[in-house]
Amino acid sequence: MQRSDYLIRKIIFALATLAAVVVFNFFLFRILPGDPVKLIIHSPRMTAEAQERIKSNFGLDKPVWFNQEGFQEEGISGAFDTQFTAYLRELTKGDLGVSFSTRKDVSELIKERIWRTVVLVVVGELLAIFIGVILGMVAAWRRGTSLDTSILLYGLFTWAMPTFFFGIILLIISGGRFPIGGMVTPGLKPDDGLVYWQDVGRHLILPTLTLTILYLSEYMLIMRSSVVEVLSEDYILTAKAKGLNAFQTFRDHALKNAMLPMVTIIALTLGYTVGGAIQVETVFSWPGIGRLMFDAVQKRDYPVLQGTFLILAVSVIIANLIADLLYAALDPRVKPD
Amino acid sequence: MKKLMTLLALLMTISLILSACGGGNATEAPAEAPIDNSVDAPAEAPAEATAGEPVTLNVGTTYIWDTANPTFGWYGYTIRYMIYDTLVEEQGISNFQPGLAESWEVSDDGLVWTFKIREGVKFHDGTPCDANAVAWSLNWTLEQDVETFAFYLYNFDEIVALDDTTLQVTLSNPVGNMEYLLMYVWILPESVWGDLTSEQIGEFEDVAAATGTGPYILTDWSEGEYLILEANKDYWRTTPAIDKIIYHEYATEDAMVQALQAGEIDVVDTAPSTAIQTLQDDPNVEVPIMGSTTIDELIINSYEDGTQPASLWDPAVRLAIAYGIDKQQIVNVAYLGYADTLGPVVPASMGDWHNSDIVDIPFDVAEGNRVLDEAGYMDSDGDGVREFSDGSPLEYRFYGTDSATNARILEIIADGLKQVGISASPTLMDEDSLIALYPAFDFDMIYWGWGLDPDPDFAMLIFTCDQRVEGGWSDSGYCDQDFEDMYIEQGITVDHEARRALIWKMQEKLFNDRPYILLTNAKNIQAYRSDRFTGFGLEPGDILWKAALLQAKPIQ
Repeated sequence: MQRSDYLIRKIIFALATLAAVVVFNFFLFRILPGDPVKLIIHSPRMTAEAQERIKSNFGLDKPVWFNQEGFQEEGISGAFDTQFTAYLRELTKGDLGVSFSTRKDVSELIKERIWRTVVLVVVGELLAIFIGVILGMVAAWRRGTSLDTSILLYGLFTWAMPTFFFGIILLIISGGRFPIGGMVTPGLKPDDGLVYWQDVGRHLILPTLTLTILYLSEYMLIMRSSVVEVLSEDYILTAKAKGLNAFQTFRDHALKNAMLPMVTIIALTLGYTVGGAIQVETVFSWPGIGRLMFDAVQKRDYPVLQGTFLILAVSVIIANLIADLLYAALDPRVKPD
Repeated sequence: MKKLMTLLALLMTISLILSACGGGNATEAPAEAPIDNSVDAPAEAPAEATAGEPVTLNVGTTYIWDTANPTFGWYGYTIRYMIYDTLVEEQGISNFQPGLAESWEVSDDGLVWTFKIREGVKFHDGTPCDANAVAWSLNWTLEQDVETFAFYLYNFDEIVALDDTTLQVTLSNPVGNMEYLLMYVWILPESVWGDLTSEQIGEFEDVAAATGTGPYILTDWSEGEYLILEANKDYWRTTPAIDKIIYHEYATEDAMVQALQAGEIDVVDTAPSTAIQTLQDDPNVEVPIMGSTTIDELIINSYEDGTQPASLWDPAVRLAIAYGIDKQQIVNVAYLGYADTLGPVVPASMGDWHNSDIVDIPFDVAEGNRVLDEAGYMDSDGDGVREFSDGSPLEYRFYGTDSATNARILEIIADGLKQVGISASPTLMDEDSLIALYPAFDFDMIYWGWGLDPDPDFAMLIFTCDQRVEGGWSDSGYCDQDFEDMYIEQGITVDHEARRALIWKMQEKLFNDRPYILLTNAKNIQAYRSDRFTGFGLEPGDILWKAALLQAKPIQ
């Protein structure tokens, strides 16, 4: 009973967060100074009618959140004939609007880009998790030795390293042995099969290397401290007292418990997968969601910004929820607070 | 609650990161890029070049374009000019040559223009492009009120084809810059656009939208990644020597420079000034340094209901400010020497539109101090800042957009002004915050820069009174009746010499009234692999511009 309460509460909380994000997302960009109309009306020589037509095409002829005129003429229903209600209405239909600059559906733009980001980040993250966890275990196992110190130093060094800086350095030292930018050689299509994927693989090398090297330190450091903490627990002493050798103790008693925080970290990080590679995508000109956001900010393309931020927030919320649920399932001590 | 806060913090952080990264200016269709004179010279032996492997030119750019649809595409003009033709083409900055129109003449009253249209030209889809097709295209542009270029034709009353090679245009008012207006109007085929409704036109995304009569045909485009053009073997001017042009989109200029040096690409469309030395040292790379119409200026608030202090209206104060600015140091610091100092608003790169009689105010602290002494501004309280007659100090709000380079430039200006007894402490802000000051003209001085059109009309338009409305383009708030009269006059003056004289007078007026103190005119810097390609036209501006690029040849 208590446990299902916990689940329901977590899900309700996730939904409430989502609702807050939807509202926040709309106003976040509109409280910033500046006027998007200026960015879609490119020439002062356009007639007033032409300007009005463009504004109304994008719904920018309506007030942002309260329609004074409509309120006076039609009462309450007129008062809410606004950009905000139009945004909510379209959103419930799954329509994220139309990009100011490319005039494509935002959902289509995101669909085109999202799998590219996922390919990049998932490969990088999986490698980082795998290597990070192993290094963390080794460091904790060999705690206090020079091996531990070197791993720790390496971890702290790469953790502190700015992603874009490391990426640029990698670009320079690779000296053209790997593709410097983009995801594929122009002209190749997924229909080309193996040739296409080999080419994508070559383009993946540098960005993945950057992601892996920088991300694994986080997993490694957390894994190490988690294992070290578990090793100092009383039940480890008990296990040793029972006569288990060090390796058995480590494998059967320490590791399982030490993996608990890792599950949370991994679930949470995967939530950032969608938007987490902005810098890497920018350095390596990877045409993913991060680049889309970057360009949209420069062009003040509200619908694209709203759409990408929403996707980003949704993935973080879902990952949070999964982490909560997983944790509850794995650790019997977790109880509703 | 904690989770919500985390999420908010996350969103904030992302927007901060993004806005911090978003300093660069996306290059928006300035249409200022010039071309070389010798376009009609046939490319040397193109057949030889195409004998074996197709010749491919790989071009690096930071933004390809927004859409293949020219009716709302505002970016990627150099690429669009490869695909479409116009009646008149630009030949060097502010200098024109025949395009689809071989020749033209104008009636004495300046109202009837007759164009002789080139024979035998075909669209990429094979349909003919004769005078009838051109007339259809121009009329259609006006009927649909095409967002990106119909406004250049607002003065066109009647457009008819008299026969297959003669086009007649009747205007409602004479215009002084017909060639300039026509160089922006693409000629589009009826076969592609004729059957579409306005709504369909606005949603047309197919590569077929890029069907023109130009030297290259769009064959593939992936948003944010690349764009491929293939040579139009039937191009009316010459068969292009380069069979294929691939534009690659890079997110940063630094990566682009790396890619050039590594040989991934053959040309970069902009070389950051910090990379010039490295590129010049590379034996395989050539770095053309060309003229541009990019200007930087100090805007002085000249709006009558603005919030600037009264002293800023005094011509003596404005003159002293001009004496206090070390333009050469700005050139050295911000552009590492790759720019010229600038006096009148129209730079020398724009040929005879530039008023070469204007002698710029030099950096001369002593003279600046003398001017202010003479005008009665004294520093009575000894704090280093002079006071106005009402006792208020000559202290001004001074803004610029947020970048490391701008921080240095604003400092140079502020230091110079301090030496003539004027205090202007710089405040850096993001571009949107700066623009938000405009409805109320709530500033004293702003450091700003932009690119001029090849015709001086636009540079003058922004100083007219009507532009001082919401959404208008006035950034100084300047309004002057004499200037207004001259602006209207130059717009209807067909005779080049007479119009030039007016434009010169207007520059002089602006130079003396100082709504702008012009600072610099930057160079346009690109780079290409000289071990692979040669012969690019360099005529001021852009080696990727149609005519300049058409001259380029591979090295065997």
